[in-house]
Amino acid sequence: MHFIPVYLIFIPVLTALFLYVVKSRHMNWLALVAQALMTVLLVLYYRAFSGNYEDTMIVLGGWNEWIGISLVNDEISVSFMFLSVFSWWMVLIYTFEKGNTNHNFLFFLMFLQGVFLGLLQTNDLFNMFVFMELITILVTILIAFKKTGDAYRAGLFYLLISKVAMMMFLLSIILVYNSFGTINILLVRDAIAATDSLTVVRFSYALFMVAVMVKSAFVPLYAWLPRAHGVAQSGISALLSGLVVKGGLYLFIRLNQMYEFANLNYTDFFYWIGALTAVVGVMFALSQKDMKQILAYHTISQIGIVMMGLSKLHDPDMFIGGFLHIFNHALFKSLLFLGAGVIISAYRTKKVTDIRGVMRTMPFVSIFMIVGMLSITGAPFFNGFISKAIIKYGVIDSGVRYWILFIVNIGTATSFIKMSQIFFGPKTMTIRIRKPLKNLTLMSLAFACVMLGNFYIPISEGFFGFQVRTIDIGTWANFFDYFLALSIGYVFYRFVIAPDPKAVRYIREHKMTFQQANYLFVVMIIVLLTVFVWW
Amino acid sequence: MIRQGILIVMLLAIFAVFIVSLSDLDQLYQTSADYFREYGAEQTGSNNLVTAILLDYRLFDSLFEAGILLIAVSGIIWISKHDIEEKNARFMLDKFKTPDLFVTFSRLVYPLMLAFGFYIIVNGHVSPGGGFQGGAIVATAILILYYIDAEKETNIGMIVTVEKFLYLTILIIASLSIFTRGTFFTNVFPYDTHGGSNQAIYLVTLNILVGFKVALGLWAIFTAFLKEGR
Repeated sequence: MHFIPVYLIFIPVLTALFLYVVKSRHMNWLALVAQALMTVLLVLYYRAFSGNYEDTMIVLGGWNEWIGISLVNDEISVSFMFLSVFSWWMVLIYTFEKGNTNHNFLFFLMFLQGVFLGLLQTNDLFNMFVFMELITILVTILIAFKKTGDAYRAGLFYLLISKVAMMMFLLSIILVYNSFGTINILLVRDAIAATDSLTVVRFSYALFMVAVMVKSAFVPLYAWLPRAHGVAQSGISALLSGLVVKGGLYLFIRLNQMYEFANLNYTDFFYWIGALTAVVGVMFALSQKDMKQILAYHTISQIGIVMMGLSKLHDPDMFIGGFLHIFNHALFKSLLFLGAGVIISAYRTKKVTDIRGVMRTMPFVSIFMIVGMLSITGAPFFNGFISKAIIKYGVIDSGVRYWILFIVNIGTATSFIKMSQIFFGPKTMTIRIRKPLKNLTLMSLAFACVMLGNFYIPISEGFFGFQVRTIDIGTWANFFDYFLALSIGYVFYRFVIAPDPKAVRYIREHKMTFQQANYLFVVMIIVLLTVFVWW
Repeated sequence: MIRQGILIVMLLAIFAVFIVSLSDLDQLYQTSADYFREYGAEQTGSNNLVTAILLDYRLFDSLFEAGILLIAVSGIIWISKHDIEEKNARFMLDKFKTPDLFVTFSRLVYPLMLAFGFYIIVNGHVSPGGGFQGGAIVATAILILYYIDAEKETNIGMIVTVEKFLYLTILIIASLSIFTRGTFFTNVFPYDTHGGSNQAIYLVTLNILVGFKVALGLWAIFTAFLKEGR
């Protein structure tokens, strides 16, 4: 029972290796068996430790925790683990084909799961670095899996920019080790509390944060995300957008807990970074016509919203809002990407302007897609509404911050009104492929979206152990707000976006080059140093 | 031009902050090195403290560091594999004729390098070296074979499968300590018996496995690149 974290890391890794060594297409179901076993273990672990996570520390090798590697869990990591196991279930079922001979795909996918679960549980900075490196390489391979020119370029872009960021992370680990003689996160936290906030501590914080900003795609370091998530296979895009990019946000939470007592005033800075990310993401999403690019840019903007909540680490309401939004975004973005994958493979095009009549051709897929769209635009009774409302109540007193959220909401509504044009029109002849497993995946995700939208209080108290504030969902004011956003969005789309003016085309064709991305990276280090070291 | 100038100024500024922050280490500097010096050899049975850290104190990290190489190898092979069969392909090396002198010396050096690599691997727990370093030397020795015999055909699929199998074995051996010491990822043998000679058995086994795994991985990468370069 005590060693379940270790089993959770190694079951998928061993399954992956076994599938690769055996190379038999009759063994693919083994991945699903491993997944079921992990689910059972995770539930057992949750039942054994929920509400009391003090005893979860494991020091591997039985050494002194000052030098050994330790794994530790709390509410945050356990709920993240539930989310990851669920996401992998969805992607495995979605991509599962009987007798598929592609062992490599399952190998990389299952290995990534083990590594990601390791990242969630580790309590050691260098171990964290090793896991992040493995995730970077695995994600690069999964992005380039289709072996097209675009996929190679996107994969290499991601690999190189992540490597640069992770070098900063490593440098920071070296500074921390030289200052405190340990890289155990909990011990470093106590050690930081005992010292004044010295330059070396602030410097290491700034370097950690720049790595986190690249990994979770904040403006201006987001350039890799739309490329990568736009070209990958739909199942992979769903996993990357829904979950793996949240690995960066998880690091943000953990590292900020580590520097909790360092007297760093980061709250406002990261709030505004989040706001900027949300606005810029929406702006780019509005200009796109490629369905997957739209979804990828919306991932950036939603990460911005999450960041606005998470930056208030000491304000429980805002933090819970951001944290819940991670889960809600994982569900509805996976749903949208997987649904888009079904539509794209049927119509053989990604352009929203070329796809017509999805409602009549594929009624089930359309209904699930609409659930996803309602969630992401924040309709009452769907899950996106809950977390956005919690964040909104947190900033309702300060004018500008509230209006930024409102503008982002209008942008999201506009962009999904644009996307909803694919539903209208007469029935079209498409390649008829019966895919019950894909429909099953979409249905479970849509169901999860509606469930979290209505029963968020028992669910979040059970998993996160947080007291979530009660929201009156069904009030007229909420419906009025939502329809106001929708109608402004419709007018905006009809008269500004649809005629495709020059400015929109300019934004659409703007692609950041690798040089520019690196230049901005250096600029961002300077900004962070100014904020955290000199200020 | 202005952009480059600003870039240089910014990099210098980052460097300046780095230097300033290092001066704080006078007040804070702490390290675990004393702990390793005092107890390392006794607790792990390894005179080489690097091996002690790699294969015992932080074995969990080493497993995933070996995993990085494993994933990189299979990724490179997956990405460099083309669907079109290229027949009558020859290695790039034999387009440029290798000098005879070089071939002769390679034949002389090859067994020495192989022996040196094995020495480094097997003695990883007493002298500088170990599985990762020795594996790289063995891989270099194998690569010299391509100079001696440019026509040599290698079955990459086989190498990669054996590499995966070795990794699986490493994982299993590393976790055996759950049965003897009740915890994962440390030496199988408890540290207070036979003055560390039992522990050496475990360290040598793990070093050999890691060494072979690294050698096979690097060999596979090199062969994949050679085929790319046809």
